[in-house]
Amino acid sequence: MKNIFRHPEKFIAAKLIIAIGVLMVALTFIFWYAILTKQEKDIMSIALRYGGSFVHFTRESIFNSLMNVQPDETQRVLQTLGTPEGVQSVRIYDHEGKVLYNSQKNSIGEFVDKGSVACKGCHVSPEKSPALSQSVRKWSVYRNMQGVRTLQVIDAITNEPSCSTAACHAHPSNIKMLGFVEAQLSLAFLDEALLKQRLALSAYVVMFVLATSLSLGIIIYKIVSKPVSELVQGMEKVASGNLEHSVAIKSVDEMGVLAQTFNAMIRDLKMARDQRERWTQTLEAEIAKKTEEIQRTHVNLMQTEKLASLGRMAAGVAHEINNPLTGVVTFAHLLKKRFPSESEESQDLNIIIEQADRCSKIIKNLLTFARATPTEKGKVSINDVLNRTIFMVQNQEKFHHIKFNINLEEYPFVIVGDSSQFQQIFLNMFINAADAMNERGRISVATRKTTENGKPYVEIEFTDEGCGIREEDMPKLFEPFFTTKPVGKGTGLGLSVSHGIVKHLGGYIKVKSTVGKGTSFFVRLPLNEEGK
Amino acid sequence: MKRILVIDDEPIVRTSCMRALQYEGYEVMLAGSGNEGLDMLNKGSFELVLLDLKMPDMDGMEVLMKIKEQWPGTKVVMITGYSTVETAVQALRLGAYNFVEKPFTPDTLLSAVREVMENSGSRPKE
Ligand code: HEC
Ligand SMILES: Nc1ncnc2c1ncn2[C@@H]1O[C@H](COP(=O)(O)OP(=O)(O)OP(=O)(O)O)[C@@H](O)[C@H]1O
Ligand SMILES: [Mg+2]
Repeated sequence: MKNIFRHPEKFIAAKLIIAIGVLMVALTFIFWYAILTKQEKDIMSIALRYGGSFVHFTRESIFNSLMNVQPDETQRVLQTLGTPEGVQSVRIYDHEGKVLYNSQKNSIGEFVDKGSVACKGCHVSPEKSPALSQSVRKWSVYRNMQGVRTLQVIDAITNEPSCSTAACHAHPSNIKMLGFVEAQLSLAFLDEALLKQRLALSAYVVMFVLATSLSLGIIIYKIVSKPVSELVQGMEKVASGNLEHSVAIKSVDEMGVLAQTFNAMIRDLKMARDQRERWTQTLEAEIAKKTEEIQRTHVNLMQTEKLASLGRMAAGVAHEINNPLTGVVTFAHLLKKRFPSESEESQDLNIIIEQADRCSKIIKNLLTFARATPTEKGKVSINDVLNRTIFMVQNQEKFHHIKFNINLEEYPFVIVGDSSQFQQIFLNMFINAADAMNERGRISVATRKTTENGKPYVEIEFTDEGCGIREEDMPKLFEPFFTTKPVGKGTGLGLSVSHGIVKHLGGYIKVKSTVGKGTSFFVRLPLNEEGK
Repeated sequence: MKRILVIDDEPIVRTSCMRALQYEGYEVMLAGSGNEGLDMLNKGSFELVLLDLKMPDMDGMEVLMKIKEQWPGTKVVMITGYSTVETAVQALRLGAYNFVEKPFTPDTLLSAVREVMENSGSRPKE
């Protein structure tokens, strides 16, 4: 609460409290001033009434003694009347201003102050002219030497018939004013009471102002400042990124509504942020995925491109080689016919023929690789082709010591393509497996249906217990002419041709291998479901 | 004695054919291009033409059509490379009798030639 008054321009509560405080002080001051003035006026009028009756009473009291011309008696009565504490003096003076009787006895025979109410009560300026003032005011208040406020009241002793006709010293009847009674009454008591009352009132007012200001301040602080500062704090927290924060204002007034709205806003904000974060994350994941995909596609594309250009080159070379090879083969055969079959020459020629044959095979492979497009398209049942290939292979000497583990899913895996190409792929897989196992061991073949991106695929698995593939060889596996086999055993075209064919059909080949334990190849091909 | 014409742009293929067939007693004439072959066909009759599919100026297929047009009785065996199996099939449809793939051995060539000769009812001289 303290710091809100250090920078009041920054706090609503401080402004409110200051405004209300100032207003209260101003209003109570006006109220206080009005009351005091009214009180003084009332008291004065009472004092005047009493003063008036006092001089009246004095006049009546001395009437008889004046009438009967008993100056002592008059003086005595005046002295008696002058005894009370509040009565400073009671005097009788004539129209000249000469004091005839005085309760204080001292200033008898002196003249009254003509500038005072004693004459001015009726005349405007008695020294110069007897002109009468419009309004007669027979009293005045002044401070005497001691600084005490004194009420001076006069009353006229008019010429009565009893006076003008009195035997003794009759006043001429044309004189209206015989003299005046004047009383000087101390207002000390009244002033004292008034002062006490004033002090009390001021104390009350100050207390009231203080108490009201304090309670108002507390109330405003409770109702306005605290919730507002909580809201502000909440907003600052939110601005600094903390969306877990909520403002704990439970009231049902506008502040509570504001707080609830604020909390709801923060919730929305948080939800939006969370959502955005989730989106960002998925987006990032998606981007990463796509980037990887693009990279993969790029690599594949490069590979395909490389393969294609290699293939074109290979095809050209193969065609050209076919012609000289024809000559070699023909003449070797013709020459062979001239020698007996057991002769050394015949055997040497056999080597030429064999090697030429090898060349011819390489060329055939190259050409297959060069044109991985199916020649005789038709509906091919993968399981049938697999069974046929396995049967064919099992009769070969190479596979005599190999056990086949066949696990084909009973499902019509139908693909439109060239069955001889599938056979070529499978055959290469089996030969590779047999080579990897030194022609001894177990080959597992399986087919199963899978789905990828909602599309049906057939997965053909070839698993062997062979030597495995070294990590550094993995990327080169599908490159044409990559082989680890001794010269004459492998051309390194098997997998690249397979890759080309599978690729052309919209599929791909996956490899998993552990050196020393074995290798699994997975050929995945999309199924033509509507054509089944 | 049956006359055989070999049309091939590759001299080694031509000689290979000639030597393999001469060895078996056939009379073999050689032509280095489609035009030359057609000229020779104009001059004398041949029982069989061995025709290379892939040749620089006149394509084997074109030559085949011309032969079948002018000398329908003359048999044609195509010599192809592996990659031209489809075209070989097409050649068969156009009237070629058979085809041999390069590189061939004398035996494959001879058996293809014999098949033609036997079906046309004439045998090479022993
Ligand atoms: C109660 C009002 C009153 C007071 C107080 C008063 N007078 Fe007068 N005075 C009158 C009146 C009324 C007259 C008019 C004549 C009359 O009938 O006596 C008058 C007349 C006079 C006259 C004119 C002379 C005359 O006799 O015609 C003088 C001078 C005078 N006053 C002086 C004074 C002096 C000095 C004082 C103060 C000591 C004084 N008066 C106080 C009311 C007053
Ligand atoms: N099942 C396997 N186990 C271990 N290594 C393998 C296996 N399959 C392939 N490889 C490795 O991949 C290389 C390339 O295989 P690919 O089939 O393309 O060519 P190749 O078998 O060597 O020759 P080709 O198939 O042309 O006769 C092989 O030389 C071998 O090193
Ligand atoms: Mg292989």
